[in-house]
Amino acid sequence: MNTLALFNPFSGRRLAFLGLVWLGFILICALAAPLLAPFDPLAIAPVDRLSEPGGSYWFGTDNFGRDTLSRCIYGARMALIIGLGTVAVSLTAGSLIGMLSAYFTRLGHVLMRVIDVLMAFPALLLALVLMTLLERSVANTIIVIGIVYTTTTARILFGMTLKLKNEVFVEAAVCSGAGHCSVLFRHILPNLISPLLVQASFIFAFAQLQAAALDFLGLGLPPEIPSWGNMLSESRIYVTRAPWLLIFPGILIIFSVFSMNLVGDALRDSIDPRFKDDIAGV
Amino acid sequence: MALLEVRNLCIAVGSGGALLPVVEDVSFTVEAGRTLGIVGESGCGKSLTSLAIMGLLEGSQVRITGGEIRFAGRELTKLPAAERRAIMGDQMAMIFQEPMTSLNPVYRIGDQIVEVLRQHRSMSRRDALVRAAELLALVRIPGPAERLKSYPHQLSGGMRQRVMIAMAIACDPSLLIADEPTTALDVTVQAQILDLLADLQARTGMAVVLISHDLGVIAETCQTIAVMYRGRIVESASAAGLFAAPRHPYTSGLMASIPDADADCETLPAIAGRVPRIDERIGGCAFHPRCPRAASRCAIEPPATATYPEDHVVLCHFPEEAAP
Repeated sequence: MNTLALFNPFSGRRLAFLGLVWLGFILICALAAPLLAPFDPLAIAPVDRLSEPGGSYWFGTDNFGRDTLSRCIYGARMALIIGLGTVAVSLTAGSLIGMLSAYFTRLGHVLMRVIDVLMAFPALLLALVLMTLLERSVANTIIVIGIVYTTTTARILFGMTLKLKNEVFVEAAVCSGAGHCSVLFRHILPNLISPLLVQASFIFAFAQLQAAALDFLGLGLPPEIPSWGNMLSESRIYVTRAPWLLIFPGILIIFSVFSMNLVGDALRDSIDPRFKDDIAGV
Repeated sequence: MALLEVRNLCIAVGSGGALLPVVEDVSFTVEAGRTLGIVGESGCGKSLTSLAIMGLLEGSQVRITGGEIRFAGRELTKLPAAERRAIMGDQMAMIFQEPMTSLNPVYRIGDQIVEVLRQHRSMSRRDALVRAAELLALVRIPGPAERLKSYPHQLSGGMRQRVMIAMAIACDPSLLIADEPTTALDVTVQAQILDLLADLQARTGMAVVLISHDLGVIAETCQTIAVMYRGRIVESASAAGLFAAPRHPYTSGLMASIPDADADCETLPAIAGRVPRIDERIGGCAFHPRCPRAASRCAIEPPATATYPEDHVVLCHFPEEAAP
């Protein structure tokens, strides 16, 4: 029945639907960046440095004369890569740790205590500490943010697996001669798909904020990569002279994260009908 | 040789370092093609006994502390997990009390049956689906081919229990353990399911261990009956022998508690007192605080078994000698 409800989580939710449209727009920008961007995002044009929006530079240029619009469009690409990468890392690691911990109680005692320790750190602080140990690169950024959100995913999956493993259908599966692997991945995991989907949408959103924060602090993606966070970071010196450098990537981050949260909420509500009536129509 | 032979089985629950015995010294045998009924109140250890036979106690707080379970000549308690899994679902299968939750909600009925079949038999998915449809027909589900595509929530409780039975008999087990298979069902559906089980048994020649708290259900279907109270078998006999002449006061009490449809009474007859908690220590015979015939000896000395003709065994100091 969950799968049925998922087909239309957006009926009667105009804002969530707008969020979905916005995300679709970002997706198109990311996929078709070379076609859409009017300039090379890395091309320097010293003559045109810090030009105001207008003319051939719709969103203005930065201190090297690079086109802000083009960089914003290519930034969508980075946002998508970071988001998907983080979701992949944290969901894989988190669900493995959570499920194994719940299923094998002794292993769980050890693994979940490690998770508890990691969760005791504020998310950004943990990411900062890990990032200072590693080189700045796209892969490392994804791994570090992935680790941060592995903890919450593991916690959630731990609880749900604990509940599921005592269900009669799991006992029945064991009874029919299913081994540990088969029980975990064929009988328990498919029942966790819906919560994983919701978790993925929220991690996708939070990864954006986390990546932007790391970029802003100069610990995220290498500075030459056009990401929204890097653009914000570079804009801060010129914020009074060239506010468009701050405004455009800022708006993109806010709208994207907001949209992802709306979509995540809609997904969650369609899976868990308890919330439905409270905020219907939002 | 008996198909299933349980000898002096002891099970204990670990709690805070101490082991509380919950099943003590339980022995019984089941011959191929026969039905054994285990009756008792909730918490008397009948379900734990069945879980121990299936090997489902592993990894829980509950442990087998002694005794042996021999199935088709093999000692199950000492078998490595992999060999044990090869037997589970293949030569012995189990159906559960809650048909509403014993099917995986995210899989179609057909896929679940196919899963069991392919676990134990090397057969293609297509062959397994054909066999699954046959099985559904065997448990009298109308339109089996279409039903294969249903999800569990689209079926009623009785239908789901039929699917569970189909899954259990998928590999032609020689032993089927049914733990309160009809308790959660309507009375009319109960009769149908019991009927179906009897029919399948006649057809396949499997042995059945039927666990229930309902004497009526047991009386209808079993050849031999074991009555359990507080982790022990207090009386075991053939069904005819037990119902004709119950010798343990607990058994008589259970039978007296069956409401008579014709009698016009204000209060339902019941056994006085309540089932003791598992951490309560009771000296002597565990039933003596509730027993109408308890004497001072019952509180001190654990009773020994008394054997009567036709394998009628009673665990009591003062068994009823003659038919009441």
